[in-house]
Amino acid sequence: MDYLDERAALAVSRRRLLKAAAVGAGALATPVLAQALADLRLPGGPSRRPLASGFPGKGEMIVQRVRPPLLETPFSVFDRDVFTPADQFFVRWHWADMPTSIDVESFRLTVRGAVRQPISISLAQLLHMPRVEIAAVNQCSGNSRGLFQPRVPGAQWAHGAMGNARWLGVSLRHVLDLAGVRGDAVAVRFGGLDQPLVAGAPDFEKSLVIEHARDGEVMLAFAMNGEQLPMLNGFPLRLVVPGWYSTYWVKMLNDIEVLAAPDDRYWMEKAYKIPTTPGANVVPGAKGFPTVPIGAMVPRSWVTSLGEGQEIAFEPSIPLGGIAMGGDHGVARVDVSSDGGHSWRPATLGPDHGKYSFRRWDARVPLARPGRIRLMARCTSTAGVTQPMAPVWNPSGFMRANVEVTTILATR
Amino acid sequence: MAGRTQGFAPLAAGLIGIAAFVLIVVGPPGSRKPAPPPPVSAGPPPSSVSANGFTLTSATMDLPADDATYPDGPNADLVNARCSACHSPSMVLTQPAFPAEKWQEIVLKMRDVYHAPIAEQDIAPITQYLAARPVAD
Repeated sequence: MDYLDERAALAVSRRRLLKAAAVGAGALATPVLAQALADLRLPGGPSRRPLASGFPGKGEMIVQRVRPPLLETPFSVFDRDVFTPADQFFVRWHWADMPTSIDVESFRLTVRGAVRQPISISLAQLLHMPRVEIAAVNQCSGNSRGLFQPRVPGAQWAHGAMGNARWLGVSLRHVLDLAGVRGDAVAVRFGGLDQPLVAGAPDFEKSLVIEHARDGEVMLAFAMNGEQLPMLNGFPLRLVVPGWYSTYWVKMLNDIEVLAAPDDRYWMEKAYKIPTTPGANVVPGAKGFPTVPIGAMVPRSWVTSLGEGQEIAFEPSIPLGGIAMGGDHGVARVDVSSDGGHSWRPATLGPDHGKYSFRRWDARVPLARPGRIRLMARCTSTAGVTQPMAPVWNPSGFMRANVEVTTILATR
Repeated sequence: MAGRTQGFAPLAAGLIGIAAFVLIVVGPPGSRKPAPPPPVSAGPPPSSVSANGFTLTSATMDLPADDATYPDGPNADLVNARCSACHSPSMVLTQPAFPAEKWQEIVLKMRDVYHAPIAEQDIAPITQYLAARPVAD
């Protein structure tokens, strides 16, 4: 065993020993039951992933990675309800060293840094604070990355690295005001209980500028869809940043640091950066372009009532349904096409759960003739932004938002 | 693609990781009978805190084991030793085919940013393995 072997072995085994000591025999890992394979139809593959239940608090999920977990929501889930059940909500962790046990009596959230009075808040105290509830889509920056062409490295998600929930908690502004933000504050950094396995690697932390952090909408959620969060979705607290990509929605949130200077650490300065161009679009292979941290989401929509490759009996017109999101604005309209985008007709929008939520849409579309049919949905937000037809490309595989095509086969 | 798979077990090699995962997690025949009842807990029920009609209850989780390894091939032992500490092999085995230059970029990022225990002399053989890895549809 050379020096590097030893370093790796020590780093890992020490963590494991600490963890085993902390939670005792309960830490013994249990197997996952793989029931089937999902085919994500990614261009060039590999497309097959195990479908498995057995991750804690989770029902059937597409297993992208076991450790640390990357679990994708099977797409059929999105046709059932605009709210995604917590036990099938996608899961994405950066570092494998996360607590396997949280005690709600001893857990504390600290608020420190450029504040008049650093504070430590218990969950009991938090439950006594004024509450806010908001319906909001939580979408990974790299949702649909596996569909980028040319392909890019990273978690090879199809469309299921997203979910919509009713988040219940306390406004971040309320908590910041309890500590008293100083006049020189410019940003707020958020950290969770997960840690790198290897010493010296950058702990996962994200930050928001102070005006955003104090906008009254950013919140600390202790519940989703009326229940406490599954551990893998950030129990006991996660940051909710409505309209913004999930990278900011820090899980197992236990540290809030008000900063008097911009955040120059790795996860803001180097990671999750996008080109400054419209749609974060650059020519494949481009390098050296200016970048900014990823931020607000953009409109997207999907057909959910029919799946890619599905065969149906031909009829002159068929019902079509799906979901749409406006990004950081509401959904103004959804148009649908059943002829590959040549003609469009408006869909009927379902109940409005707020501008950050998924919105159901339904329509009837004509089928010209039996054979392959290219179905499309196109969302326009209340900000007047319409989904483009052409996909974007960037080296990180972020912000895919073009009109998606669902090809079905109508047979006589 | 045939040239890229030389030195690897033929055909299904790219799927071995995932297949191994499934085998491991499903277990041998007979292992799927109902689990024995959980041991009677000696401890008190999990603690909880409540206010204004909402209760938070202490939670624990058992994360699943992952004993999957990288498929056989030149330098597979090295890849198993260096590229399994922080993440499961499934992270790599779900990636599409990339040219060697792209894989080297990724290996260097793993070393320089995420402090993966990769020595200078490991970079070329790890890159070779990753670039030659067969990718299934």
